[in-house]
Amino acid sequence: MSKVIVVTSGKGGVGKTTTSAAFASGLAAKGYKTAVIDFDVGLRNLDLIMGVERRVVYDFVNVINGESTLKQALIRDKRVDNLYILPASQTRDKDALTTEGVESVINELKEDGFDYIVCDSPAGIEKGAFMALYFADEAIVVTNPEVSSVRDSDRILGILQSRSRAAEQGGTVKEHLLITRYSPDRVEGGDMLGMDDIVEILSVPLIGVIPESESVLQASNSGNSVVLDEQSHAGQAYTDVVARFLGEDVPLRFIDVQPKKGFFKKLFG
Amino acid sequence: MKLKGEMSMLNVLHLQESDLELTSLQVSLEKKRDEAPQFFIQSPLVVDCSDLAEQCNRLDFGALRAMILELGFIPVGVRSAPKDVLLVANKAGWAIMREGHAPSAKKQDKSGQADNHQSASSNGPASDNSGSTEKQTQAQSTIQSLTIERPVRSGQQVYAANGDMTILAPTSSGSELVADGSIHVYGALRGRVLAGARGNVSARIFCHSLQAELIAIAGRYQLLDESDTDLKGKPAMIRLEGEKLIIEPLG
Repeated sequence: MSKVIVVTSGKGGVGKTTTSAAFASGLAAKGYKTAVIDFDVGLRNLDLIMGVERRVVYDFVNVINGESTLKQALIRDKRVDNLYILPASQTRDKDALTTEGVESVINELKEDGFDYIVCDSPAGIEKGAFMALYFADEAIVVTNPEVSSVRDSDRILGILQSRSRAAEQGGTVKEHLLITRYSPDRVEGGDMLGMDDIVEILSVPLIGVIPESESVLQASNSGNSVVLDEQSHAGQAYTDVVARFLGEDVPLRFIDVQPKKGFFKKLFG
Repeated sequence: MKLKGEMSMLNVLHLQESDLELTSLQVSLEKKRDEAPQFFIQSPLVVDCSDLAEQCNRLDFGALRAMILELGFIPVGVRSAPKDVLLVANKAGWAIMREGHAPSAKKQDKSGQADNHQSASSNGPASDNSGSTEKQTQAQSTIQSLTIERPVRSGQQVYAANGDMTILAPTSSGSELVADGSIHVYGALRGRVLAGARGNVSARIFCHSLQAELIAIAGRYQLLDESDTDLKGKPAMIRLEGEKLIIEPLG
């Protein structure tokens, strides 16, 4: 039974695309056949983050309009088996997405035996974001530890539970909260909202906390999914998120202030 | 087209026994009009006969209407007169208006208006032309409780018509709870909360953790930040005492 998961946030720049890429890569690395769809028509980014920008021939809108088949548009990831990317169109806008079109693409992916379909939502609460969440079974709501991001996540949670197809049919979308760009030092210093405060405000089960990390930026710029960087804390945190999503009980990591290493510690490890 | 019952402001002319002499009434009414001509000229006028009692069959409604028109008012209707008198007035071109409210009901009604105004921007309860007393009985006869088990999120609005609202989860800042009755929140209350939306002054607000942005009962509202209560973040009950919102500890 395939599952549709939307990665959404309301606010822009919080790490939706990074999370979509890392999460989909992580699922595929665990052996699940996974597709990740970029819903940000007109502001295509997922292909860059995943390092497939030079391999885009057809896109999501082409498939919806019947200008190409789904097989032609899906890009197979070269590093992770079972991972496929459906890029957005860069030359169109969000109006190119129709409910029927999106539904037919998702249904075709389900028929093709995909275990997980990850929908990378654009920012905002307009059509693109709405289309990305409409068919979702589960949602990963990405939040940064600051008040405007938390409020926007709250808003999108409301939309999920009122305007998604599951909600219209009387069901619910299963919610997961993912806090990204978390910096324990700055939480301690009072510059950032703490993890517990965010969970209390949003009252959604926490699936993970991704520490602020330079490796995310490096990974994005080089087109490598950060989850594949086993050295980085962010990569490890994403691996934990995937494990928790699949039902494993993994304790949270990287949420406490790291003790400052002394000179000799630095020198001798 | 839409035909809706709505409440609007009308000037009401309460006739006294001495006013049965139309010429003297004309003089005093003209005087009143000239105090604020911009306000009164072309304004609708309702004639209330409650102070005349049996005397009102002596009233010449045709002449009264002509006189009022001459002064620049627009005669609309007559109220609080015996049925046969109302029929006579009706023949003379007057509309028959619903009875006025008792003084106590009047006060409630005002609060209802204030609240309607306040929530107009947020699709709050639509205004209604039936008297507040009628609303009360209606509310009593078809009470509908609304129970919500999920968090109420920023941007969401919940309205419990004709009854109480119970929320078994937290509410977010930027959310809005509106109920004609009382509101109970078994969690943190963070958004706006308006109880007694149609003027029920005995409605109350209960919550586990008072962090609301705005609290209101029967149209009397207060920003929590402007309140000097020390119950912020604590279990609290809010009730109305006269015109004042009282916040007190719960339990």
